[in-house]
Amino acid sequence: MNAVETVQLGKYYGKKLGITGVNMAVRDGEIFGFIGPNGAGKTTTIRLLLGLIKPSSGEAKIFGRPVPISGGRLYRRVGYVPSEVNYYPEMTGRDLLEYAAGFYTAIDSLWVEEMVDRLQFDPDKKIRTYSHGNRKKLGIIQALLHKPRLLILDEPGSGLDPLIRLELFKILEEMNQKGATVFFSTHILEEVERICQRVAIIKDGSLIHCGPVDELPGKDIRFVILKLAGSEPSTAALDELGEAEELSSRPGYYRVVSHLPVNELVNKLSRLNLEYLRISDPSLEDLFFDFYKTSAEEGGNHNA
Amino acid sequence: MLNGNICSTEISLNRRSLFIWTFVVVIVILVYLSSFIFMEEIEVVEMIEGYPDMLTTGLGMSPEMFGDVNLYHGGLVLLYGLLLASIYAMMLAGSLVTRDVDIGTVEFLYTRPLSRQIILFSKALSFLVMITLLWITIYLVSVALGALWVAPESFDIYNQFLAHLMGYLACLAAGGLAFGFSPLLNRVQSSTSLAIGLGFAFFFLNTIASMYEQLEFLKYLSIHYYADLSGAASGEPYITGMIVLPVVFFVGVGLGSFLLNRKDFTA
Repeated sequence: MNAVETVQLGKYYGKKLGITGVNMAVRDGEIFGFIGPNGAGKTTTIRLLLGLIKPSSGEAKIFGRPVPISGGRLYRRVGYVPSEVNYYPEMTGRDLLEYAAGFYTAIDSLWVEEMVDRLQFDPDKKIRTYSHGNRKKLGIIQALLHKPRLLILDEPGSGLDPLIRLELFKILEEMNQKGATVFFSTHILEEVERICQRVAIIKDGSLIHCGPVDELPGKDIRFVILKLAGSEPSTAALDELGEAEELSSRPGYYRVVSHLPVNELVNKLSRLNLEYLRISDPSLEDLFFDFYKTSAEEGGNHNA
Repeated sequence: MLNGNICSTEISLNRRSLFIWTFVVVIVILVYLSSFIFMEEIEVVEMIEGYPDMLTTGLGMSPEMFGDVNLYHGGLVLLYGLLLASIYAMMLAGSLVTRDVDIGTVEFLYTRPLSRQIILFSKALSFLVMITLLWITIYLVSVALGALWVAPESFDIYNQFLAHLMGYLACLAAGGLAFGFSPLLNRVQSSTSLAIGLGFAFFFLNTIASMYEQLEFLKYLSIHYYADLSGAASGEPYITGMIVLPVVFFVGVGLGSFLLNRKDFTA
């Protein structure tokens, strides 16, 4: 069964496009990344999944059931962390957690305390005094306190310091191992690379890719930094490797973006007289921008 | 159909404004009702008799009021008390609905395993509790002042109960209207402005309807007309008003629920 499913999901705000024709399936028990730049439609999609806004077309389902207009029993199994965390400023963090806990039965208070400790959160201060990071921690704890089967997180890492972010990902992985589905949006690709099994990319309101992280288009790209030996090296040989350009910060050094298979690349490099060589895999960020660039040129729409 | 968690939390979140408004209305009652003691000394009845009829009628005054503590308190003091209390009731109901959208807690509350209808009804219940507390306090203060100090022999506790009951029902109706229109708004400031505007509009519509015969129909648009505080203070409450005011409350809450169910909570 799919934990989340959208069929031709679309949303217009008046005449302004939010998202259009989004088809996506998040399998029960997987960690699914939803990436795209700000304004691409990530938050709109999430709000549609939560029933905060109504679709203009298509349908969204959670655990096989159509998303109702807000709430309903379906959401007993769902936890949500918004990107902008806003709570009642006059409450303390503990008041809010107790308020949130009041909506569910059988809350494990030891689990809540464990989350408070692991995220190094002080729940006894007024919410209005919390920094952005502490509000985010509170948002995460209130979403996790009822041990949801589906976690929807909108930019969960933003505002958190690196150590707490690492701890959050550990918690998400632990929950996933216990059977929870994690669906989270981000524009920090490293977060997706770290824990996600599959990923969807959204651009200008349309899904342009959905699949395993390892199968992202452009995974065959290699970045090669090299310096040819000799005082006036010929760069003609570099053209066989791929797109080459001299690094402005380091004269004589070239950066080559190569799409050649590894063996062929190594073979061709071995024929060169090199003074310096470094080969690196592309980061997801590099892939993302490469993919965006290609997609923009092709005007593609690849729902999956 | 109702969620106690939301109801108790809303009461807790709004208790400060309840204290402030209760204090303000109690002070108004304290000042006006206690001044009744001096009415005879300064010959207010004679003074009011000298005013043009149109003015005294418009302001809800009559010479008899100043000679009868029950009419004075029920018909005049409570009229101004109701003006303040109805503004508070509309501000409260409006903020109960718009606050979550305004400060962003909509993403917290409306993603809980509850329908929007239950959330609104639970908020309406918290409103009922707070307005009931307000009017119980107003009544107790009125009785304590009127029956124990100002006019121990003539202050009629039962008739005053009827007048306060009508004031309470009028506040419910005002709150119902606010529940009805607030889903259309996204800012507490907007609902507050509308509450203040409507509160005064109800008061002046009734005033103008009393002053000009041609505009008498305007009274039907005012909660003050249906409350008929003077009639209730004389022991003759307006039965139609007793029916219309709660109906307005329930219809308003129903309309609010209908509109809220169709609202998009955009960022």
